[in-house]
Amino acid sequence: MINAVRSELLKMRSMPGIWVTFGLTIPLTVLGLLLAFATAGGFAGHTFSFVYTLAQKRQMLGAGYLGIQFLAPILGVICITSEYRHKTITTTVLLTPRRHQVLGAKILVIALWAVLMAALSLVVVTAVGLPWNAGLGGVTSQVTSQYGAVIPGLLAATVLLGLFGLGFGTLVKNQVAGILITIGGTFILEQILVALAKQIFHYNLNWLPSAAAASLAGAISRGGFNGHEGVSLLNWWQGGIVMLGWGLVPLTLGYFTTFRRDVT
Amino acid sequence: MRGLPIEIKGLSKHFGSVLAVDNLAFTVEPGRVTGFLGPNGSGKTTTLRMLLGLVNPSSGEATIGGKFYRDLQHPSGTVGAVLEATSFHPARRARTHLRMVARAGGHDEARADIVLDLVGLTADAKRKVSGFSMGMRQRLELAGALVGDPDVLILDEPSNGLDPQGIAWLREFMQYLAGEGRTILVSSHLLAEMAQTIDNVVIVSKGQLKAEGTLESVMGGVSEATMHARTPEADRLCTILSGAGSRFRRLAHDMVAVDGVTPEVLGPMLAANQIVLYELTNEGADLESIFLSVTSGLGFGDTVTPT
Repeated sequence: MINAVRSELLKMRSMPGIWVTFGLTIPLTVLGLLLAFATAGGFAGHTFSFVYTLAQKRQMLGAGYLGIQFLAPILGVICITSEYRHKTITTTVLLTPRRHQVLGAKILVIALWAVLMAALSLVVVTAVGLPWNAGLGGVTSQVTSQYGAVIPGLLAATVLLGLFGLGFGTLVKNQVAGILITIGGTFILEQILVALAKQIFHYNLNWLPSAAAASLAGAISRGGFNGHEGVSLLNWWQGGIVMLGWGLVPLTLGYFTTFRRDVT
Repeated sequence: MRGLPIEIKGLSKHFGSVLAVDNLAFTVEPGRVTGFLGPNGSGKTTTLRMLLGLVNPSSGEATIGGKFYRDLQHPSGTVGAVLEATSFHPARRARTHLRMVARAGGHDEARADIVLDLVGLTADAKRKVSGFSMGMRQRLELAGALVGDPDVLILDEPSNGLDPQGIAWLREFMQYLAGEGRTILVSSHLLAEMAQTIDNVVIVSKGQLKAEGTLESVMGGVSEATMHARTPEADRLCTILSGAGSRFRRLAHDMVAVDGVTPEVLGPMLAANQIVLYELTNEGADLESIFLSVTSGLGFGDTVTPT
């Protein structure tokens, strides 16, 4: 298992698609900061303002979530579907014939990359967001005191979003289909379903992937740029369990269906 | 001896309604190069993939040293496999690919440079695989199989894409590895090069075993020559041969191969029938004629059982 993990780490590191996805965290975190200051400005009647409410401060610290919510699933999808796209699955399974170990290694490696992605966003927030906030007149210490409230949720949500992508990637094997399902499904289909559920059935559809992840990272997404203003989110721990299910169920189904099939 | 025997017992595989491998059984001995021959679509690749745990058999079993591949304690240290020259991430560098293989198998990453040198790719170690020719990919695939310094080497059509120099190199390399006592099983449909390489032969057709044994014993088991006759009267010759109950194959509009005859028998027959000849050659019992006889069902439909 350790050998498989070490190999998967090198495999991920040597894929340009992984680095592009990872690197997009930086500009999207800056965009998240821009939206955080714009949101604060809107409340204050200006274009931009320093963050001053508790929710705004947490939104600013979790600005990276704007990109993470779709970059982390893409990371998971690429991790598994590139094996089928480039037929490297043959070599992978030959080297690690006990296939559950391959998936186990991929889960650990995706978790690590997700943590790094969340950490990168926090670095950008600290390096760009805090001076920017100070420049707008904010007090830095009032924002940094909220790190402890934001980091656990951000890390957990990022890891589980990565697992979500890995799960659906394992199930469908096709890279384009995997990305369409995880991203298109959560950002288009989920929003439509949420709206329909609310309008027609007056039902609070808050257990689909995007809303579940948002509730786990609650301090972040309640700020409003995730399209969940109309949904009463689950508690953070409920969101965590639901999100874990959105990762593990397709992963388990994928393992027992596509992943154990003949490699021809 | 450091090799392990490969045993295939009653192996079958259905893909839907298609029977790709039909109750196949043979043994591969260590210390020899065994050719696994058959026409395209005869079930060679499926058999090798079942042996390597990539494809689940419908029935029967395939073991290496008495164990299933998935149960080997050190799979890549026991078996090296070359299956297809396309299973690389195009953006990955050759050396990185081999380091990845070494890591997965728990081998020293320094083996990457050693095997790159073995297959003659040291100068290309830092190049991305996307820029590799088919021949270079075959060499890299072979390097990957050798990272674990395995006791058994399984190669599926390894000479595809190799130039004549590469094929000659591969031939010598396989014989060198077999000389160290390793088990070498190599599939191919290219017979001329295999005839110069292999010690043992397993011939399959339509998923079934047609012949098995040492090359000499299989050739001896057939013990028949093939004559090639080039004539402008090929149609008339075929009619005469058919009437005489001879086994023959039409190779071209003016070329007929007659199996199981000697020049002393065929020559007088042609003279008696006043057949105009441009050329009459004794092809002997070469691997190709045996293969064609065995796989076409024109004479050797049954398994040849050599001594």
